[in-house]
Amino acid sequence: MTVSDRPVAIAVPIVDSPPENQTVGWSHRHLLDLDVVSWPEIELVMRTTDAMREVLARPISKVPALRGRNVTILFYEASTRTRVSFEVAAKNLSADVVNIAASLSSVSKGESLVDTVRTVEALGAELLVIRHAVSGAPYLAAETFSGSVVNGGDGWHAHPTQALLDLYTMRSRLPGGSVEDRKVVILGDVLHSRVARSNIWSLTAAGADLWLCGPATLLRGFEAWAGRGAAAGRRFRVTSSIDEALRDADVVMALRIQRERMASGLLPSLREYAARYGLTSARLALSRPGALVMHPGPMNEGVEIAADVAAGTQSLITEQVTNGVAVRMALLYLLAGTAEPSLGSRAAE
Amino acid sequence: MTDLDISRAWLVDPVAGREGPGDIVVRDGILESVAWLDGGDAEGIDDRGVVVAPGFIDLHAHFREPGNEDAETIASGLAAAAHGGFTTVCLMPNTTPALDDPAVLAQVAAAAAASDSPVRALAYGAVTAGRRGETLAALGELADAGVVGFSDDGSCVGSAELVRNALAYAGALGLPLVDHAEDATQTVGAVANDGFVATVLGLRGWPAAAEEAAVARDLAILAEVVRDVPGARLHLTHVSTASSLDLVRRAKAAGLPVTCDVTPHHLALTDEWVAGSRRWAWEASGDPWSDGAITAAPYASALRVNPPLRSAGDAAACREALLDGTADAVATDHAPHTAVDKEVEFGLAANGISGIETALGVLLAAVDAGLIPLARAIESLTTGPAAVLGRRFVDRPVGLVEGEPADLVVFDRSESWTVSADALVSKGKNSPLSGRQLSGRVLATIAGGRVAHEAALAVSR
Repeated sequence: MTVSDRPVAIAVPIVDSPPENQTVGWSHRHLLDLDVVSWPEIELVMRTTDAMREVLARPISKVPALRGRNVTILFYEASTRTRVSFEVAAKNLSADVVNIAASLSSVSKGESLVDTVRTVEALGAELLVIRHAVSGAPYLAAETFSGSVVNGGDGWHAHPTQALLDLYTMRSRLPGGSVEDRKVVILGDVLHSRVARSNIWSLTAAGADLWLCGPATLLRGFEAWAGRGAAAGRRFRVTSSIDEALRDADVVMALRIQRERMASGLLPSLREYAARYGLTSARLALSRPGALVMHPGPMNEGVEIAADVAAGTQSLITEQVTNGVAVRMALLYLLAGTAEPSLGSRAAE
Repeated sequence: MTDLDISRAWLVDPVAGREGPGDIVVRDGILESVAWLDGGDAEGIDDRGVVVAPGFIDLHAHFREPGNEDAETIASGLAAAAHGGFTTVCLMPNTTPALDDPAVLAQVAAAAAASDSPVRALAYGAVTAGRRGETLAALGELADAGVVGFSDDGSCVGSAELVRNALAYAGALGLPLVDHAEDATQTVGAVANDGFVATVLGLRGWPAAAEEAAVARDLAILAEVVRDVPGARLHLTHVSTASSLDLVRRAKAAGLPVTCDVTPHHLALTDEWVAGSRRWAWEASGDPWSDGAITAAPYASALRVNPPLRSAGDAAACREALLDGTADAVATDHAPHTAVDKEVEFGLAANGISGIETALGVLLAAVDAGLIPLARAIESLTTGPAAVLGRRFVDRPVGLVEGEPADLVVFDRSESWTVSADALVSKGKNSPLSGRQLSGRVLATIAGGRVAHEAALAVSR
């Protein structure tokens, strides 16, 4: 993989038509994490998302591409934003959508994840979107499921569709349409963040100057990762100094702080966190004029991000939500067209 | 009775400190002759073919009976042990109920007798009542009933005060405290080695410091207790980090009565396997995402084990500790589990590897790689653990001694076998080595003069 997001030749699919028999450069049966997704493939997702944005701009924002296909959304964790985003995306592609709010308590009733996946498959699921509180759970699902699995967020591990919509949103707003060499700061509870981990893969692949910033307790282990690089040569930076991180930043992404972090002794108090790491307009002034402000949501306004910053002119938070639908349409579309298992589906072998 | 003739094999006798070409003859279960060959007779025989060694001794196995017979029974565990070349096993007391009372030991002994396996089943008693870490178990009664030591394995003895008391009380009984070193305050919810792989995979890290803190604590207490109770002994099981082993090395040099074992998986596998690497520890680069090592799905729950698989450096330290004698033995920590407990999300899976049948093959992989001499590998499975147990429990020399009941294993380094659910005799199919070829297929295991396991070899009884 090259450290560049310079344009590459990409065959963008005709998204009004079903994905079968279209020759596109997407070979993954599943989307579990971005570590195995190459730069040209990420570029393909971006271009396909452009096509989906165009669909969304139509008076009737719907294409028949996945008509008759079953997309099952299996969420083991409470979520509104991501679940609805997948649902809207699937419906915009004319897929049949099944929503299942599962709970980890079903484990205590004896129904394992493997049992549940077999059941939804028997009920007709072809594309399975799964969210789970335990890191790695989608890989277990992918071992069992004969269709395609999309990771909708697993534990602390990965949230690949979020990282791709983040990248898409940055590129749509940065001058030149590229994050290469742009200073991107991910700020906050990196340790527990699947969003941060997936963004490390995509943003380093895109050649961004990526910085992770937060209290040292919430960066545990990341210095070692940064020193090694996300893959050979793909470095990023880690710092507890918010001033150092924000200075001349092009993009600042704040992460949600959970109250449990105080109980487990990682932080003294929310008040202290807000005072030292909250993204306020005064802090944002350290960044480049017009720096982009992002947040994967849901926000604790007044804690990790000040309300005026979240609602300010530099904020792309609402746009992230809109782009989320387009990116997920693109991914469902590309995955539905995958015939052959490949590296991304190594979990199935 | 058992008769066995093996000619032109490679004999390893760790008691005599001798290895070389030879023939053995077993008649009526007695090792009638051991003939070492030399000169022209020895020509063409090397240590790459059929090897005859004393039967292996496992200091650490879980057979799950009583309480979880779906995962393993005494009978299935003993059969698995024999398949792995073991003729003596020491069972951990974390059964249900815990072996904290002579009645449970009697149950285990009765199951072993009923199995009719010639493999010898020894057992540890719990350190604390119910393994709850609160009060001492019936140590004296358990000692009288024949336990080989005391352990709350699966958990560390959390209270330092109880470690002190158990070392003293058990020491006066002439038995060791066998500790699973883990400072539990550092490992709440931890599922993988705290390090690069866990960070990338989003798994809660189990730091090396949690083991080292417990090891240091136990050694400091031992140093004090041994002044009052000269018989006090500490055995640290499944030691997994370089710094823990350094602490043991220094304690031994200072003359403290401490011994330790390492497991086959900690010396040959690394946490990179959790990311999907399938390279031996000595082939690992430290960054499976960059070096092309990832060939399997990540998060395979067969790799969930406690202590967790560590870094390549820690694995190298385990091998180094075997070479310099810091580690006295290799113990399997055979931990069979049912599919229900294992075929679940990595973070929800039970800890443990079904390893008693793969221990020899894994050690031989390190031998094949030139990292451990064959003789030392054999010692670590025979005289090493025998010395930890002491003459009270191993009253015969663990060598190839003429006139004694045969207690030996015959394996062929030129023959390999593929690890699979079908190939494993244990009820626990939870092996991360499934699908892998291991060399050193066990051809025969003779325990106490009787055949415990035989493969394609003519053994007449």
